[in-house]
Amino acid sequence: MGGEEAKVAVPESVLKKQKRNEEWALTKKEEKLALKKKNAENRKLIYSRAKQYAQQYDEEQKELIRLKREARLKGGFYVNPEAKLLFIVRIRGINAMHPKTRSILQLLRLRQGALTFPQLRFQFRKFKDIDNEIFNGVFLKVNKATVNMLHRVEPYVTFGYPNLKSVKELIYKRGYGKLNQQRIPLTDNSIVEQGLGKHGIICMEDLIHEIITVGPHFKEANNFLWPFQLKAPLGGLKKKRNHYVEGGDAGNREDYINELIRRMN
Amino acid sequence: MQFIVYKAPTTSSIADTPHNRQMAAAARPLVSVQPLPGSLNDMATDHVTTVALPDVMKASIRPDIVNFVHSNISKNSRQPYAVSKKAGHQTSAESWGTGRAVSRIPRVSGGGTHRAGQGAFGNMCRGGRMFAPTKTWRRWHRKVNVNQKRYAVVSAIAASSIPSLVMARGHRVESVPEMPLVISDSAESIEKTSTAIKVLKEIGAYPDAEKAKDSQAIRPGKGKMRNRRYISRKGPLIVYGTEGAKLVKAFRNIPGVEVANVERLNLLKLAPGGHLGRFVIWTKSAIEKLDSIYGSFEKCSEKKKGYVLPRSKMVNADLARIINSDEVQSVVKPIKKEIKRASLKKNPLKNLNVMLKLNPYAKTARRMALLAEAERVKSKKEKLDKKRKPVSKWLLLYALVLRMEAVNVNGFLCVLRMSEQFDFSGIDDWQNNLEELAAAKAAGKAWYKTMISDSDYTEFDNFTKWLGVSQ
Repeated sequence: MGGEEAKVAVPESVLKKQKRNEEWALTKKEEKLALKKKNAENRKLIYSRAKQYAQQYDEEQKELIRLKREARLKGGFYVNPEAKLLFIVRIRGINAMHPKTRSILQLLRLRQGALTFPQLRFQFRKFKDIDNEIFNGVFLKVNKATVNMLHRVEPYVTFGYPNLKSVKELIYKRGYGKLNQQRIPLTDNSIVEQGLGKHGIICMEDLIHEIITVGPHFKEANNFLWPFQLKAPLGGLKKKRNHYVEGGDAGNREDYINELIRRMN
Repeated sequence: MQFIVYKAPTTSSIADTPHNRQMAAAARPLVSVQPLPGSLNDMATDHVTTVALPDVMKASIRPDIVNFVHSNISKNSRQPYAVSKKAGHQTSAESWGTGRAVSRIPRVSGGGTHRAGQGAFGNMCRGGRMFAPTKTWRRWHRKVNVNQKRYAVVSAIAASSIPSLVMARGHRVESVPEMPLVISDSAESIEKTSTAIKVLKEIGAYPDAEKAKDSQAIRPGKGKMRNRRYISRKGPLIVYGTEGAKLVKAFRNIPGVEVANVERLNLLKLAPGGHLGRFVIWTKSAIEKLDSIYGSFEKCSEKKKGYVLPRSKMVNADLARIINSDEVQSVVKPIKKEIKRASLKKNPLKNLNVMLKLNPYAKTARRMALLAEAERVKSKKEKLDKKRKPVSKWLLLYALVLRMEAVNVNGFLCVLRMSEQFDFSGIDDWQNNLEELAAAKAAGKAWYKTMISDSDYTEFDNFTKWLGVSQ
């Protein structure tokens, strides 16, 4: 270990460590540069994509209005295409639930919380935000399977068709991603990229677009999003126990879900 | 103070397999044999001989095993003690039972003496038998596995060659020339204690013996009256090789010094009190015999059937060296100095910078929205301004008159009456401005309409005719 040099007695180990540190510093710098470059390129890409999506949404909106006006002009009616996307919010608590509905809610990730993952239970106890199951919300694709599931859990949830503003606000304000089984806040596009990069979703706008236009990777994108923990609605609910059509809150309330989301977000 | 050379094995690579070790056995560090003073001299010819360090000294040092074995072995020379088995029962005591206002303990029968009626038999009674009288058939001796016993001895021998451990045990080895200390075989033929002491002084072991002599004291405690009156420190242990050597008699009377034959080494002597590092003085023949008695890490011992020296868990226990070695450092990842911690999540819908981080297009989108809003506001304002432009009363009146003329006389008269209220001061200006005139006409028309609609005149048939309007 102690190799004396000619003039200055610097131990060999110190020299070795210096050399090693230099090498590391060099590789680190190179990595940093490469990362910077990649980020810059990404930025441009994200910008162009966001722009494209904004135009797309605008177009769609205008198209809808145009079709409606046209139909009205001719005296007929324009029927909106059936919604593809649903947003479900859990209304009722956890007591006295039939096991079948309980497991359906579990499938919908509306039963999430410290109580569902026993191995995470101890982790979650430490944190302040132990998920309350009530007023959790998730997005859902509409198809025969999901519709039938919803039918079974109607008294426990309220759901409807969210619009662009709802989706955007939910994801920006209360969006958390699932990375390594952890609930990570979406504070940077790199998090989205890490989670969904392999499906081509690299930024928030991509994610929002995928959700709202129920794209080919909706399942992965939706699963990446941790269930939204919304606050209790300002202004209150009407009557949890009844269905929406009876003046209550449960079940399908189609477009009026957006108003509820505004109050809960 | 003399310089102690501690011969540590210097292996350049960390790959010190037992195979390597055996190969290096030939290259084992050498221990020089200390020559003895001139009078015993038959070593004059060969001034300094050396002996290869026996493998035992390289065994792993296990204080835990030594402690365990020592504590068990030291129980083996115990003499049993017990109370008399009759003690406390040499009475015919019987309990008086209840009803006599005394406790129910058995009481001594009979009378005429203090002893009568006293409690007996119980451990709480005076003169009663003790609780659980000690028995001679208590298990006094302990069995220890042979291999463990050998391991302990081997460890103790290894520890005795390390000066720091020996010094830690309390031996005064500062002036000893080398550890392990080997003296020539001529010592085995020493007959006189005086020469023995001289020899000790020569080899630097005398301070240790002196320490032992000075420490002789009377034992504190009851041991004094139990045939253990005196205590003292332990001095050096002389280990000799040949049977029946005269040195036993010479050295044994020196206080603190003990003698042992290498074939019969005792753990209780090598690690007194269970503590490693007795100061051992070997004779040349003794140390040469060690190899055959204990064997090496590969070779079985000759004296102990099938016994091989114990292997250590880690051959190279120098962690620092291992960590800093090339083999490890070449695959080690860089040190993470900067720890990324979770930052507070800020709401992008409220905080523009955070929004831009997530969506760079948001800036242009917002800018465009703001501009569009400004446009809208401007155009609306213009539209309203046009409608609400303030026209002079004159023009208004004039326009009204013109209108009235077109309609009928009564209306005209009505307006004339109204015109009496106006002052005609600024009458010259308006005639020059055609634009204003047109504006005035339009304004007049609008005002006329509002006048009609605000009033209730349209309800009545009379008025509809000369006002020229219907409801």
